[in-house]
Amino acid sequence: MTSTVTGRGPSVPPSGRRSEPRPTRSGVGWLLELPANAVRSVARSAKATPGRLSLIATGLIVLALVTGLVGTASVLNRDNTINALIDHREPLAAAAQEVYGSLSDADATAASAFLSTGTEPPELRERYELDIARAGAALAKAASDSGTVPEAAEQVAILSQRMPVYTGLIETARANNRQGFPSGAAYLREASELMRSQLLPAAHRLYEIDAQRLVDEQDTASGVPWLTAVLVFGLLAALIAAQIHLKRRTNRVFNIGLLVASIAVGLSILWGAGALTVQSVLVSSGRSTGTEQADLLVRARIAALQARADETLTLVARGGGESYDKEFGELFGQFAGEDGQGGLLGEARRGAEGGPETTHIASAANHATTWLRAHAEVRRLDNTGNYAEAVGLAIDGTNEKGAAAAFGRVDGDLVSAIGVARQSFLDETTNGSRALTLLAPGFAVLAAIAALGTTLGFRERLREYR
Amino acid sequence: MNRNIRWSVLLAATAALVAGCGSPGAPVDPAPIESVQRPMPPNAAEESDVDGGGSTNDGCNPAASLGPSGNIPSGSTMDEIRQRGHLIVGVDQNTFLFGFRNPTTGKLEGFDIDIAKQVAKELLGDPEAVQFKAISSAQRIPTLTEGQVDIVVRTFSITCERLEDINFSTVYYVAGQRVLVNKDSDVEGVGDLGGKRVCASKTSTSLPNVVQAAPEAKPISVDDWSDCLVMLQQGQVDAVSTDDTILAGMAEQDPTTKIVGDRFTDELYGIGIPKENTDMVRYVNHVLDKVRGGPWQDSYRTWLLDRLGSASPPRPEYQ
Repeated sequence: MTSTVTGRGPSVPPSGRRSEPRPTRSGVGWLLELPANAVRSVARSAKATPGRLSLIATGLIVLALVTGLVGTASVLNRDNTINALIDHREPLAAAAQEVYGSLSDADATAASAFLSTGTEPPELRERYELDIARAGAALAKAASDSGTVPEAAEQVAILSQRMPVYTGLIETARANNRQGFPSGAAYLREASELMRSQLLPAAHRLYEIDAQRLVDEQDTASGVPWLTAVLVFGLLAALIAAQIHLKRRTNRVFNIGLLVASIAVGLSILWGAGALTVQSVLVSSGRSTGTEQADLLVRARIAALQARADETLTLVARGGGESYDKEFGELFGQFAGEDGQGGLLGEARRGAEGGPETTHIASAANHATTWLRAHAEVRRLDNTGNYAEAVGLAIDGTNEKGAAAAFGRVDGDLVSAIGVARQSFLDETTNGSRALTLLAPGFAVLAAIAALGTTLGFRERLREYR
Repeated sequence: MNRNIRWSVLLAATAALVAGCGSPGAPVDPAPIESVQRPMPPNAAEESDVDGGGSTNDGCNPAASLGPSGNIPSGSTMDEIRQRGHLIVGVDQNTFLFGFRNPTTGKLEGFDIDIAKQVAKELLGDPEAVQFKAISSAQRIPTLTEGQVDIVVRTFSITCERLEDINFSTVYYVAGQRVLVNKDSDVEGVGDLGGKRVCASKTSTSLPNVVQAAPEAKPISVDDWSDCLVMLQQGQVDAVSTDDTILAGMAEQDPTTKIVGDRFTDELYGIGIPKENTDMVRYVNHVLDKVRGGPWQDSYRTWLLDRLGSASPPRPEYQ
């Protein structure tokens, strides 16, 4: 034995060496000829019934697996989109809104603080500080994902570069004001100009961009997954066609395997369509009762904040503020119409349709009417030479009938209403996400069952040919 | 085999070296910012064509006003103001010492404000019966011609050009234009302003005066005088040039500035009154005559004596 092995031994290496180059060469050739050979062999086998059957079987199995894969991925993707809406997109839009609102309020508060005499009232100082802190924190949040949208990044850059400049000017104004120097007022005007010409437009644009991105993503999350739909219906049609084909060939009415596969696919269509419809309806409803409503209320609040800034700046300008007063009229009209019942607030009230935020909106509208009445009184006093009384009525928060108190309530109501609308978005969208529970693994399992059923069904038929 | 490994190691090392020889590039600048635009007061602008000709109306004596009269016939302008109950006065609220808002009291104070109150006191018996309307330099003539105010008391220089649109009272103060610069500046007068950025308020007489005295200066115009101080403090202008009265108020607010050079103009401050209200001109001149007898000195002592030295009210001239 050993001798024969050793005897053969020397002959092996040469043959091995000789055979080495051959596989590589023929390997490359084989690779090149593969597609042609495949087509040829498929064409050859398709002519024979068993070949054709195994071809159909392979096609169906591949289709089932691809459908399962695409469908599962699409459901997972949609689930991710919805979670991103809740965890990411909506908070970002809210952050942009916060930047805009806080900056507008800071502008109005700084002007009010200027109008007050003597030591700056601590509540106004606190409000301003809170506004700036909120705007800064919200800007950091809003900036966290502006990188992919150049225009948003541009707005964030303007805001982050100019906001410290604004606060610096306000502090310079305070320092001069405390010394009794009128240059304090000049610095305040400069700060307000910076706010109105650069910061607020950038904050506005950033909010618009983020609000639009939210809406776009909601569209994505409630759209029809066309690719999956085409595949799954195609698979069902192919399975039925295969059954009809087999019935003709073999005269057997039922093929258990294919039947099971068809039922699995049918089930996945029913489940998927049901779950996705429920989810889409909920996400859309989260959009209409939540996001769109919140957007209306945010725009109403910002118009109100800017109108308030105009009201105080009219008094700061002391007779020279016709342009501010005119702008107040325009902004108040946008906010709540001529009478405090229309405008964006009225639109929001119609949109609420008796929803949970209605009470807040109705209350805001009532206080808006009070505010408008107080504003008219402020203007009357100022225009008839009672400047000090006009200022008192405009900025004294303790006067129940004053403009400051009424505006404070309007703002409080609007903030509450925005909170309710955001909650409504969160509830609906979260429920939408729940509708997709187990759909992804379910879809995968059903597709696997379809593939398995097809395999078994065809194996049975193919056996008959052996 | 060993040799192969050695070769491949050598090859890999060379490859790595060659790849490494290429510059790794500069470190990424995460936030490239070249320069920062400084904030500007609203409506600040560079003035390219200021008419430096000045007023050269022949035969016009800007100081001469209508003769004084204390009569208030019914139907007169003064009568209407009495029925209204308050006087509407266009003033400044940003010029320290002359017309400014005291942040501690919220009230307007200053030399001009005192003059306005004297008119109200004489006409209505109450110095507080005034509705102040803060206006910018540029708004002085329009508010008068549109009848929005009864009088304008706002460091308002009488010029022949302005007399074509409105009327003026007699002169109640004579100021002169000078230059305000930072303490470390080498500017010693209006003659050194060539090539420098000089701030003055829109449509003031100071702007053409600067251009006339220093044609090479680059004038910057703003709404209010305090905006000029802001721009000087922010390093956006090299100098402010206007009446010494206004400059004194700025120097008072910023001890790192100084007033340099001699007066190079005479600015005759008068009270602006709508062209057609000649009765009001005579009445205001009547009030100013009384003011020159005591209240003028009181107000001067309060606001200007320490800053501008002793002075007496200018003698009135009549047509």
